[in-house]
Amino acid sequence: MAATMTQKVMYTDTTICTGCRACMVACKQWNQLPYEEPEWTGGYGNRSHFSDKAWRFVRFIEVDDPRPSHKGEVQWLMMSDVCKHCQQAGCLEACPTGAIHRTAWGTVDIDQGICNGCRDCVASCPFGVIAFNADTGRVNKCTFCSDRVPAGMPTACAKTCPTSSIRFGDKEPMLEMARARVKELKAQGFERANLYGDSDILGGLNAFYVLADSPSVYGLPERPELPQRNVNLDSALAIASSVVIGLAALVSFRDQGAGRQG
Amino acid sequence: MGVVTANIQDPHWGMYIVWYFFLGGIAGGAYFTAAIADYFGGPRERQMAKIGYYIAWPLTVICGILLILDLGTPSRFLNMLREFKWQSPMSVGAWGLAVFGAFATVSAVLAYFERGPMPVLSLSEADRLRYRRLVGLVGTLAGFFLASYTGVLLGSTAIPMWTESRLMGALFLASAASTGVASIALVAWLRGLDLGETWNRIHRFDRFAIVWEAVLLAALLVMLGGAAEPIVSGRYALLFWVGLVAIGLVAPFVLQLRTGHHSGRPTFALALPALLVLVGGFVLRYVVIMSGPYHG
Repeated sequence: MAATMTQKVMYTDTTICTGCRACMVACKQWNQLPYEEPEWTGGYGNRSHFSDKAWRFVRFIEVDDPRPSHKGEVQWLMMSDVCKHCQQAGCLEACPTGAIHRTAWGTVDIDQGICNGCRDCVASCPFGVIAFNADTGRVNKCTFCSDRVPAGMPTACAKTCPTSSIRFGDKEPMLEMARARVKELKAQGFERANLYGDSDILGGLNAFYVLADSPSVYGLPERPELPQRNVNLDSALAIASSVVIGLAALVSFRDQGAGRQG
Repeated sequence: MGVVTANIQDPHWGMYIVWYFFLGGIAGGAYFTAAIADYFGGPRERQMAKIGYYIAWPLTVICGILLILDLGTPSRFLNMLREFKWQSPMSVGAWGLAVFGAFATVSAVLAYFERGPMPVLSLSEADRLRYRRLVGLVGTLAGFFLASYTGVLLGSTAIPMWTESRLMGALFLASAASTGVASIALVAWLRGLDLGETWNRIHRFDRFAIVWEAVLLAALLVMLGGAAEPIVSGRYALLFWVGLVAIGLVAPFVLQLRTGHHSGRPTFALALPALLVLVGGFVLRYVVIMSGPYHG
C-alpha cells in the first residue's frame, strides 16, 4: 500500500490561525510527549523554539500591519510552526546511519531504532527543527504522524485544528488552494502575502505555509539552502590545501643527497 | 539553553568533539608529515618518521573512543557503518577514520619491527622499510582526509559561523600539519632524541604551515564577515586573539626563526614553539566548535 501512496502535505494558512494551541496539545497527546516548563517569550507565546518534546508550537508575532491601508496599526500574526518535511532535507542528507529517511508519502521521518545520536542533523536543519533527546540519546522531530497517515488518518494537529488553519491532504490540490488564498490576500491589501514552500524553497516543503508578510517576519529564512551544497567546494579547497602542505613537506624533508649535513 | 535564534538548534557538540577534532588533526598531520619525510627524506628522517607513526596510531584509537563516548551508547557507533553517503561528511568521516586507522596500524607495526626478528610475517629488513614507505605514501591521502574532513563537516551545516566560509576544511588541514609536526618535535624532545639537522627541517616546515594557516585564517574571517562575530569580538574573542593568534601562531613563528640546532640532545628552546603550536591548535578547535551555535 505504502509504495503507491501519493505525496501528502500539511498546508497551514497562518492568516486564519487564532493561536488556540490545540495543535500543540494534540501533538503532545498523540505522540505522548512529556511536559516542559514554558518559556518566557515576552509575548503571548509560551515557547520560541522546537525541542525534542515540542514538535509543534504557535508563534505569536506583533508587527506593523502589512496593509498600506492600515498604516500605523499593529497586526497580530500567528503561525503554527512544524518540521517542513523538505524535499531537499539537510537532516536527511547529513544522517550517516540512514535513520532519517523519506517516507512513501514524501515526508521525512526518523527511525528511532537506527539513530545513534551523532547530532549532525541537528546542526544541518536550516529551520532549527530537529532536537537532541538526552533521555534516549537520539534525536526527535515531527514524524508527520507516520503512525496515522498509512492508516488513512490525517495528522493529529490537522485533525484537531478548529479553524482549519492546518489542513492535511494530497499535494497538488492543497498547493492550488494555497495559491488561490495568496491571490485573495493580495486583493485584500496584504501585498507581501506569499506561499512559503513551493518548489522554490528546498525543492518544495511537504509542510508549507501561506504567510501574510515576508518569511523573515515569522522567523523563517528567506532563502534557505541545502547545507550539503558546500561539500564539494569545501572538499576541493581542502584538497588544494593538502597539496600546498604536501609540497611544503616534500621540499622541507627531501633528501638533498650525500653532501648534506647529518 | 543553547538556542539563540529560532532557526538554529544547538547540536550540543562539546569537549569530546573538541578533543576529537584536535587529536584527529594531530594524528592525520603527524602521519602525513612522517610518511612524506619517510618517503622523500634521507636516513636521518627515518627516526622522525617513526615518531610520527607512533603518535598517529594511539591517537586514532583515542579518537574512536572519544566518538563512541560522545554517542553515549558504544554499540551505536556501528550504525555509522550501515551506509556510505558521499554527501554526508559524518558518514564519509566515520569510514575515513577506520581506513586511516588501518594505515596507522600497519605503519606503526612496520616501524616497530624495523630491525630484528619479526613475528608472523617474515619480511627482510629492506622489505619492511620498502613496504613501510609505500604504505605511508598511500596512507598520506587518508591522513589528509582525517586532518581536514572535520572542517568540511562544519561547512555543511546550517550554523552561520561554521558554514559561511568555504575554507574551514582547508584551515583545519593547515592546523593539522602544524600540530602534527609539533607533536613529533615534542615527543623527540621528551625522549631526548638527537635528530640533528632534522630539527631545522621540522622548524622550516612548521613555519610554512603556520604562515599558510594564518593566510587561510585571515581569508576565512573575511569570508565569514559578520558571522565571525563570536570569535573576533564576542564571547570567545580573548581566547581567539590571545590563545590562537598570539600564542599559537605569532609566538612559535618568531621563536622558530631564532632557534637553530645541529647536534646533541634537543633543548627546551626547540620544543617550546611546538608546545605553543599545540595550544593554538586546541584553541582553534575549541573556539570554532563552542561559538557555532552562539552567533548574534
